[in-house]
Amino acid sequence: MRSSKWGTLRSPVAYLFVAPALLIFLVFSIGPTVYTFALSLFKWNKFNPALSKFIGLENYKTVFTGTGNPSFFDTLGVSFYYVAGMVIGGTALGLLLAVLLARGGRALASARTMVFLPHVTPVVATSLVWVWIFNPQFGLANLVVHATGHHNIDFLGDSRWAMPAVLIYSLWHELGFVTVVFLGGLTTISTELAEAAKLDGANRWQEFWFVTFPQLRPVVTLVLLIESVASLQAFTQFFVMTKGGPGYATSTLGFQLYQQAFVFSNTGYAAALAVVLFVITAALSILQLRLQGDRPAKAPRPSTFSRTTRTASTRSQSSSL
Amino acid sequence: MKRHTVTALAAGAAIAALALTGCSGNSADSSSGSKGAPTLAAGKKVTITFAEAMASGALKTELEKVTQEFESKNPNITVELQAQPDYGTLKTKIDAAVTAGTPPTIAQVYGDWAAAYAQSEVLEPLTDYAAADPSATDGLYKGIKNSLYIDKTLYMWPFNASALVTFYNPDLLKAAGVEAPKTWDDFATVAKAVSKDGVVALPIDPGSSSGPAGGTTIFELMAQANGTPVFKDDGTPQFDSPDVVKALQTLVDLKKAGAVQTGTNYPGETALGAQKGVFDISTSTSFYYDQQAVGGKFQLAVAPVPAAADGTRINQINGTNVTMFNKASDDQKAAAWKYMQFLTEAETQSEWAQATGYLPVNPKTLDLPDMKDYIAKNPYVTFASEDLANSSATPPYAWVEEASGDLAAALQSALAGNASPADALKDAQAKAAAAQKAAQ
Repeated sequence: MRSSKWGTLRSPVAYLFVAPALLIFLVFSIGPTVYTFALSLFKWNKFNPALSKFIGLENYKTVFTGTGNPSFFDTLGVSFYYVAGMVIGGTALGLLLAVLLARGGRALASARTMVFLPHVTPVVATSLVWVWIFNPQFGLANLVVHATGHHNIDFLGDSRWAMPAVLIYSLWHELGFVTVVFLGGLTTISTELAEAAKLDGANRWQEFWFVTFPQLRPVVTLVLLIESVASLQAFTQFFVMTKGGPGYATSTLGFQLYQQAFVFSNTGYAAALAVVLFVITAALSILQLRLQGDRPAKAPRPSTFSRTTRTASTRSQSSSL
Repeated sequence: MKRHTVTALAAGAAIAALALTGCSGNSADSSSGSKGAPTLAAGKKVTITFAEAMASGALKTELEKVTQEFESKNPNITVELQAQPDYGTLKTKIDAAVTAGTPPTIAQVYGDWAAAYAQSEVLEPLTDYAAADPSATDGLYKGIKNSLYIDKTLYMWPFNASALVTFYNPDLLKAAGVEAPKTWDDFATVAKAVSKDGVVALPIDPGSSSGPAGGTTIFELMAQANGTPVFKDDGTPQFDSPDVVKALQTLVDLKKAGAVQTGTNYPGETALGAQKGVFDISTSTSFYYDQQAVGGKFQLAVAPVPAAADGTRINQINGTNVTMFNKASDDQKAAAWKYMQFLTEAETQSEWAQATGYLPVNPKTLDLPDMKDYIAKNPYVTFASEDLANSSATPPYAWVEEASGDLAAALQSALAGNASPADALKDAQAKAAAAQKAAQ
């Protein structure tokens, strides 16, 4: 679409068509974002704004000197622990499940449905169910622990176990989505290359790692992006399962934002945390998009592995697999 | 470049608007001085709203019933009950309504919530209202009366009060050859004796940094029984005092011995009902819920909470008060005050206590014939009321909410074995002191 005196759109009437969407975006996204930034410069009294006080960058000083309660850096560490667990664990397990479920058949179709089912359940309701699964006295999880000859584990009440427990729940809830995305990706890749690799003597792992995975790289990038942003913003499971505890062991940035704003009414500090979370999320997204942009997926040319055009050079490439 | 300019202008405009809001007067809403209590003209119709958390079981039906009785006696006043499912949701809703400038006329509040509202000048001082009938205030238990004041100004009126009692399974005590403990020292011995074969003496929920739960209240009683309450009367935290550390050490030792277990969602009640717990130290209002959990499997017994080593019973006033917001019209304020007084009349309190398990806030209630019959059938009401009469509530200061969260977090850490009691409480003390400093 060429530029004109009307900007990127060709006619002023076009702006009328996009105006409702722009207005909604402005009111519900841009406006609150700017407002949040402004709030972060105040010691804000949400009950009576007349008593609010402009304090400049004081809230950011509290954030970056780690003098908040809990320290911003502790919170950031907890957030990255969760993000790493979700992104690495979610991507690896999702990919594994997708590869296993990629073949056709009625049984596998049912399995796909079962894997996806948790994702469509409400997080609040299923979090409550998992609270009971992790109950130290009556929970199912401890039945498994007992069966292995160990003592009861207080999954949600022990700092060492609380985050792994939330991760187990979150992975259970999210894996279906990641798996379906990978399944979609697997349907788009060339089967000819895999067949050629098999003929060249590649085993299943080599076929996956050197043929399938490189072609899936754009999908992996997408999953990494979605998972890291979603994990950074995760809140409900922490609110229901641990309330940020025990101590502050599961107090993520998102949870702290809620706690400071709505429990302790430290609105200005919470706004500063929100701005920092926004910057981190945006930076991560840009970084991942850049990485994807700089290194486009280099799927081997079909002819390289084509049965009819196989050459000595492809033989040597295959033999190095 | 142009986009940057627009963004900068938008941000600047937002900051300027906020600064103007911050500097502008809000005198109409911020009046906290005394100007005399308003009166309601006879026959003038008025509607008031009451944000409350009495949303289930007998609590819901009884509040609706007494409200209807009030409306029958005052046909010109309509009370709209705005029931919320729990106190957390109630606070969120009240906060949102106050922030939006449309608070309810009156609301159920804890002392620290009310302190934050009072500090923000959105509450109606009730001193002048109560001055018209000093006997109404003087007729309350001393501890209840004291809990209504914030910086010597009356901001709250009592509603649903309770004290802690010990619910227990007498069969499991008998099987272990022990009796209900009289002191906390006894409790530690008995708890260890009964905790075997999958039975845990006392499952507790410490709560979290977002807010303490019953387990933290039990810990607070133990600390006070040792000689030092966790908060001074002026709200100053004293979490790292030796008596408080000793109380937490006792709980940690009990946990190591398998006599205490942490959990969520009223774990004491659940375990008691499943015959996997022996004690549930909870408020008197839990009687109904504990009985439901037990379901006739054994005869639920009730005893006072364990006392200090010298036999002095230490308890804490639980429950909430009612507060009034100054956005209401004078007619609404007058009608709301009438309703608040009705809720604490001896007859209303008697009916309310019998239906819900809350304790009367007015000692005169105990002399009513129907209340005497009720006490004869539920003897625990006598000692629970005695405890209520001699107890005090958590000091009503805005920082107490955050400080109590720090205390609950310390309890969680120490019970999970992630920090020693002394270290966990030292850390909580530092955080609570910082919260106090920031709020003052």
